[in-house]
Amino acid sequence: MSRQARQPGIVDPTRRGQAVAGWILASPFVVLFLVFTAGPVLASLGMSFTDMRSTDMRTPFAVQFVGLDNYVDLVQDPLFRKVTLNTLLYLVLGVPLTMGIALAVAVGLNGLSRSRGFFRVGFYLPVVTSIVAVSVVWKYILRDEGGLLNAALGWVGIDGPAWLDSTTTALPSLVVMAAWRNFGTLMVIFLAGLQTVPREQVEAAEVDGASGWSRFRFITLPALRPVLLFGAVITGIGYLQFFEEAFVMTKGGPLDSTRSVTFFTFDQFGYGNYGYAAAASYLLFLAIVLLTFFQFRLLRTKD
Amino acid sequence: MNRTTITLVGLATAASLAFTACGRSDDAGAGGEEQGEAITDGKATGTIEVWAMGTEGEKLGDFVEDFEDANPDATVKVTAVPWESAHDKISTAIAAGEGPDVSLIGTTWMGEFAEAGGLMPTPEGLVDEADYFPGAWQSTEVGGTSYGVPWYVETRVLFYRKDLAKKAGWSDAPTSWDDLKQFAKDLESKGGAKYGLNLQPGQTGSWQSYLPFAWTDGATLTNEEGTEYTIDSPEMAQALDYYTSYFDDGLSMTRTLDPGELESGFADGTFGSFISGPWHTGLVEEAGLDESDYAVAPLPGKDEGMGTSFVGGGDLAVFQDSDNPESAWKFVQWLSEPEVQQDFYDEVGDLPAVQAAWESGELSTDPQLKIFGEQLGQAQSPPAVPTWEQVAASIDGLVEQASRGDLSGEDAVKQMQSDAQSIGTGL
Repeated sequence: MSRQARQPGIVDPTRRGQAVAGWILASPFVVLFLVFTAGPVLASLGMSFTDMRSTDMRTPFAVQFVGLDNYVDLVQDPLFRKVTLNTLLYLVLGVPLTMGIALAVAVGLNGLSRSRGFFRVGFYLPVVTSIVAVSVVWKYILRDEGGLLNAALGWVGIDGPAWLDSTTTALPSLVVMAAWRNFGTLMVIFLAGLQTVPREQVEAAEVDGASGWSRFRFITLPALRPVLLFGAVITGIGYLQFFEEAFVMTKGGPLDSTRSVTFFTFDQFGYGNYGYAAAASYLLFLAIVLLTFFQFRLLRTKD
Repeated sequence: MNRTTITLVGLATAASLAFTACGRSDDAGAGGEEQGEAITDGKATGTIEVWAMGTEGEKLGDFVEDFEDANPDATVKVTAVPWESAHDKISTAIAAGEGPDVSLIGTTWMGEFAEAGGLMPTPEGLVDEADYFPGAWQSTEVGGTSYGVPWYVETRVLFYRKDLAKKAGWSDAPTSWDDLKQFAKDLESKGGAKYGLNLQPGQTGSWQSYLPFAWTDGATLTNEEGTEYTIDSPEMAQALDYYTSYFDDGLSMTRTLDPGELESGFADGTFGSFISGPWHTGLVEEAGLDESDYAVAPLPGKDEGMGTSFVGGGDLAVFQDSDNPESAWKFVQWLSEPEVQQDFYDEVGDLPAVQAAWESGELSTDPQLKIFGEQLGQAQSPPAVPTWEQVAASIDGLVEQASRGDLSGEDAVKQMQSDAQSIGTGL
């Protein structure tokens, strides 16, 4: 079958047969996708333009269409502004910290010739540990009286604050905990990335007398660029959806200082404000799209 | 027109059609509905599907044998539902119209489920309202119509260490706000407790410890009809100032406690007293205290006598989509009989909502239980409106701000009022 034979309006019967067969074979997935993925996503988008509440469940179409009211209300809601600011703080504190630790550990492990596997498992362990179990331990570490951290600070004469009960230290404490809990995944990815750094270049630079830092800065880092981009994107998305740590450690307190946008959305769904909650989650979705877009622009390989 | 345009136009038409079909009708939902018609006499028949949560769900299955013996044509099928998933499960069932016939409903959910149109109004003459503790009955009424029957109740009382109180010179529990303050101070200075009276400094559920003080002061949350919030009142503000003074004076810990901390702290004398519900008798005894080491007492009134406490618990409701409503209500009626309520207490330990069940047996003789019984006579429940959880969360947040000294009582209750007003009752 030649391409030239295809005129507008005339469909090659073989091609059509193939297309039909293709759709039939793909239909199980297409149906599942439409019903369980696209359907709910579109329904929730539609919901964000209505004043739907949990009490409307029996008559989901008997709700008022309110246009962009939910979005306007959200932008004006002081609590939503606060949680947005908190989420941005999580993002700008959390991403560099997590990536920094992961990169440092990966580089360190890459230089090890023995017991690398042991350390890799050790550092990865927090990722697979239940957040509930972890939170109990961290609460003890961060406790005001008799906490591990404050006891350690006490030895050097510093009187540590009640980390989780102060509006200034609660959020950074959670960021540190989240970084500790999540850097393992990135570390594994970075370790794999480090294997791809061309040895010849490093050795050549060594022969030319480049210092360790210069080799890292001008050879390793550029070679890692795609891996770093990937890491930044998934970590950024993770921190924008920050929830678990705050949920188990502080319940969003004190005074909402650790409440994130996801937490806010969770609360609103709990209160039964379905329309409002859907609008909040679409704003977050938009923020994630924008962030990812800018990260791609910033870190993509320059030609 | 190419294909994409056609698809887009089609979608837009469908969407606009869907939206034109939208719009609320004014008569939807609860409020102003008549009570259901009285059920007929005679025995229950057919299958009655029942959902119950927690211990109730586990024990009810065997407990209903007596009902089945008395109603040979009826079968009761009990499904145990975990509390964590119960709210979602019930709301899904209501949305789909495929629920059980009867379910246990947490008192604070009544407003939401009744407003959603999922629950049937209680039939006329099924039970007598006067048989119940008034605060418990209040929890079934949404917009003036009752949508169920209280099953079991719980209320909050003062727990204190008897030995420490004695050391501090108190042989009886305090009976006024001034006394309570002095009591807490003495427990610290003379009794050796680190904190005299532990109260919750904000965070989830702190409204349950603050509102009893406000109710004791005579405050109300809504007007008589339950249509307008009346939170901004001098009584509310005064009660909040009194509540937060415990944090200012160092009588209560200013941070939220970790699970288990209260019980172990009470046992080792860190906390001289606290306010909580009946489940704490078991917990403090597990923590190593003997029944002779501690005592419970009704909440003190403002100037004298007994204060007003919070009443919670569970209600029984019949679903609008029940296939067997007559028999379902008969089952509810049976569970409300004083003897059955008493038996259920013996079996599960739930405090009966029917007052007559307290007149004999262990409930009338045990000194601790008698205190709970007394307090239940003077206890209130929050307004049964669908938006209550959200209003409560705002109160929690403002109690926290006031406890930290960021807001005066007066400003805090003003803010509670304006939050509650903008949230609305949802009816």
